[in-house]
Amino acid sequence: MHIPDGYLSPATCGVLAAAMVPVWSTAATRAKRVVKSRYAPPTAVFSSYCFTVKMFNGPRPVGSSAHAVGGVLIACLLGPWAAVISLSVALAIQALFFGDGGVLAFGANAFNMAFVMPFVGYAVYRAVTRHTSLTARRRALAAGLGGYVGLNTAALVAAIEFGLQPELFHTSDGTPLYAPFHLSQTIPAMALAHLTVAGFVEFALTAGVVAYLQRANLPLLRINHAHVPEAGSAIPHRPLGWRWAFYGLGAMLALTPLGLLAPGGAFGEDAPQNLDLARYHLAAVPQGLHDYTGWWSHTVLDGYGFSGGSHERAGYLLSALVGCLAVATAIALVIALARVVSRADGDDAEQPVLAP
Amino acid sequence: MRSDDRTVLACRELSYSYLGRFAALDGVSFDVVRGETLGLLGANGCGKSTLLKVLDGLVFPDAGSFSAFGQPVTEDALEDEQFSTAFRSRVGFIFQNADAQVFSPTVREEIAFAPLQLAIGRDEIEQRIADVLALLEITELADRAPYQLSGGQKKRVAIASVLVMNPEVLLFDEPTAALDPRTQQWLLELIVELRRAGKTIVLATHDLDVLEWVCDRCLVFSEAHRIVLDGTPESVLEDRDALLAANLIHPHAHRHGELTHAHPHRADHSMIDHSGALLPTGDSLAQAVAVAGPERPA
Amino acid sequence: MTAAVETPAWLLTPELGLCPCGCIGKRRRGSFVAKTIAGAGSVLQSALFSEDVAKAPGLLQRLDARAKLVALIGLLIAVALVRHVPVLLAAYAGALLLALASRLPLGFFIKRVWLFIPIFTGVIVLPATLNVVTDGDVVVPLPFGLGLTRQGLVAAALIVSRVAASISLVVLVTLTTPWTQLLAGLRSLGVPKLFVLVIGMAYRYLFVLLAAVQDMYIARRSRSIAPERDSRSGRAFVGATAGALFGKAHALSEEVHQAMTSRGYRGDARTLDVARFRPADAATFAVAALAAALLIGGDRALG
Repeated sequence: MHIPDGYLSPATCGVLAAAMVPVWSTAATRAKRVVKSRYAPPTAVFSSYCFTVKMFNGPRPVGSSAHAVGGVLIACLLGPWAAVISLSVALAIQALFFGDGGVLAFGANAFNMAFVMPFVGYAVYRAVTRHTSLTARRRALAAGLGGYVGLNTAALVAAIEFGLQPELFHTSDGTPLYAPFHLSQTIPAMALAHLTVAGFVEFALTAGVVAYLQRANLPLLRINHAHVPEAGSAIPHRPLGWRWAFYGLGAMLALTPLGLLAPGGAFGEDAPQNLDLARYHLAAVPQGLHDYTGWWSHTVLDGYGFSGGSHERAGYLLSALVGCLAVATAIALVIALARVVSRADGDDAEQPVLAP
Repeated sequence: MRSDDRTVLACRELSYSYLGRFAALDGVSFDVVRGETLGLLGANGCGKSTLLKVLDGLVFPDAGSFSAFGQPVTEDALEDEQFSTAFRSRVGFIFQNADAQVFSPTVREEIAFAPLQLAIGRDEIEQRIADVLALLEITELADRAPYQLSGGQKKRVAIASVLVMNPEVLLFDEPTAALDPRTQQWLLELIVELRRAGKTIVLATHDLDVLEWVCDRCLVFSEAHRIVLDGTPESVLEDRDALLAANLIHPHAHRHGELTHAHPHRADHSMIDHSGALLPTGDSLAQAVAVAGPERPA
Repeated sequence: MTAAVETPAWLLTPELGLCPCGCIGKRRRGSFVAKTIAGAGSVLQSALFSEDVAKAPGLLQRLDARAKLVALIGLLIAVALVRHVPVLLAAYAGALLLALASRLPLGFFIKRVWLFIPIFTGVIVLPATLNVVTDGDVVVPLPFGLGLTRQGLVAAALIVSRVAASISLVVLVTLTTPWTQLLAGLRSLGVPKLFVLVIGMAYRYLFVLLAAVQDMYIARRSRSIAPERDSRSGRAFVGATAGALFGKAHALSEEVHQAMTSRGYRGDARTLDVARFRPADAATFAVAALAAALLIGGDRALG
């Protein structure tokens, strides 16, 4: 999902980097507020941890090259704001010091993997672990589910960024200038790859680490869960329910129309230089929908040669729907699986080992 | 026990436990006087490292008091910038894990770290860096990154980064652990030299061989986190029963004349200390091995 | 203690077939354990390799990191704005000349750029040449109503050459600048000191954690007989390793904090002065600005 330079227009990169500026400054302020002098070492070491996690290869289906991103894992262990900084630093090191590219696309990569992913995943995790003790089995599964949903949402956002490129940036004869695929192609392609393989790699890593810490090093889980009771006795264990599944789906659905809103109004012309960033930023709020409609008829009237303008939008919504259905199916499968597992293992009453 | 004007560090009934559950110190009282070299002896987990961290104002006791240079050292006291700067520059701590202590991008920046924090003038910083690099024979490493250094080189950098503050009191936590024999020898000679220069030194170790050579006085800690012996190295080494009880020697250990001969038997003496990097350090191959291999956190 | 300028490459290659950057090589369907060990080794190797190259006497090595960073961003934007394949190829040729002038191993430089990213990119954009993706004038008709369109072919060529040029520029700067200078460069470009401190420490501890991962995986390998593929125990192992590593990272961060506090750190990052601005840096800016102007001007001249 790491986007190298050259796939996205400079305007897209600029907008996403601008969107990250308030996120970064909020993250820095929030993290610093805790204890000022304690800020640098953990942030730095956990940034290297984020980078290292990407080196982890696990057993996986033959031929696939998926590795976990670890964004939701860091959010579960340290909180989403700390995850923003740690993951951004890891991405910066990857882009600049190891020359993996993505210097111009740094803002876009950070937006997808250091912002969308930890926050969406963490929201799912929090929703699922409500009223759960620190050692509950559900907590590990919730973290894994958060990883799965977080990664897929980030992939969806990346797919939208890719898919918007040919619509917004092309020459007068219809030659795409950057990534050439349309939303109706990028979304299913990314969804297929991430719903089937990468998502489960992320699930396994995130759930695996939380389960390990529950078993072997509970104080580390406490970093981000100061007031969560340790044992399950105080809180009634409830069976895994359907209710929380809708949080994840809700988050995805809430994000879906963003793909339609995002282009805003300032992209009416084919020349990206004409782009007014400030205006774009404003247009990203609902007013953009209005502009969007205008932009659409504009392109069709100009005869840019799309095989059918409305077809694209329908395709987008259709693929989003397909994506949601696929997520729902996957979640249902995970729940079923989890139920089978917890039934087989009985109540997980392993004594936590405290490490000094 | 009575403090006089020669007392540099004074501990009274110190108690400390991790997470409120795991005791590390239990009613520990002693003084360190100016210019002495004090050895802290004890098996792993007896609280030596914790005590050093208390002496450096990094952790604060649950009960009891610690004062340095006649002033009580507490969390509140260290909030005061003036007190903190004075205390930090007068007490230096060389950690056991050099990886934790060498955190800067280059050796030069590492050594500059403390003087910069303590607001020493830029020109003097440059001069001090050059001097301390020469003293520790690492001038040619100045622009290297830490991951390009061997374990012994990292230790030298860590010591340089503390010595550059010119502290009065030096705290060493297991200084010779995980070093090759040559570097161990060099480090012990350095400590003896610092002692001769009038520094006050507190040294945590479980290496009995170095006591008589390096220390003026020894404290032996029991596994119950208390002081069980306080005396000269000679008197401490004579007290076999106490050393046995503190789990510092194995029942098979015995002395040949002046030497304790216990290598294969002694508890808590990692074999790695003896079989560590034996390749010559001048060889670039050996450095490459050191770079590729053993950089690991403790 | 002589400087290890030329680290023998074989010594740092844990498995066969990895290029210095670790990005290509024989895709052995070996065990995940071997792959992870190899991956961790290749990161270390790539870092050592770029330190070696950065020490070589060359054109770009002599320039200031700040000037190079600013020039890099300017040229990347210029490359991103260009809309003609010949102009992008010219930019790539310029990068090759700079690589030659900076004494980079040219074979490695070309491989680094072409054997991985653009070919990977090429495979991805291949379908984009079809009329089902990019509508336009069909120039090569194919069966089933398919066909390659002119617009699609141009788009594919555009993206491949653009990615090649961009990656080349980034690799040029990465390889010719010691990372400590890159850090100093970031600092003088206005990135807050605290962030630079964090990036520097993160890079430094990356190697400590990677070594720890290698240790844990090597221990695992020494305990297993058959190559491991998909297994429940394998997954549990990955979770436990990542969890144990998190514990190590946490302990390390506590200790680093104590080590910093012990030497007077109170939350304000202070650093040595950075080098002053030299005429050579102004020249770098001028040349980079001229190159960017030429690229965009040439592009507009083509229509």
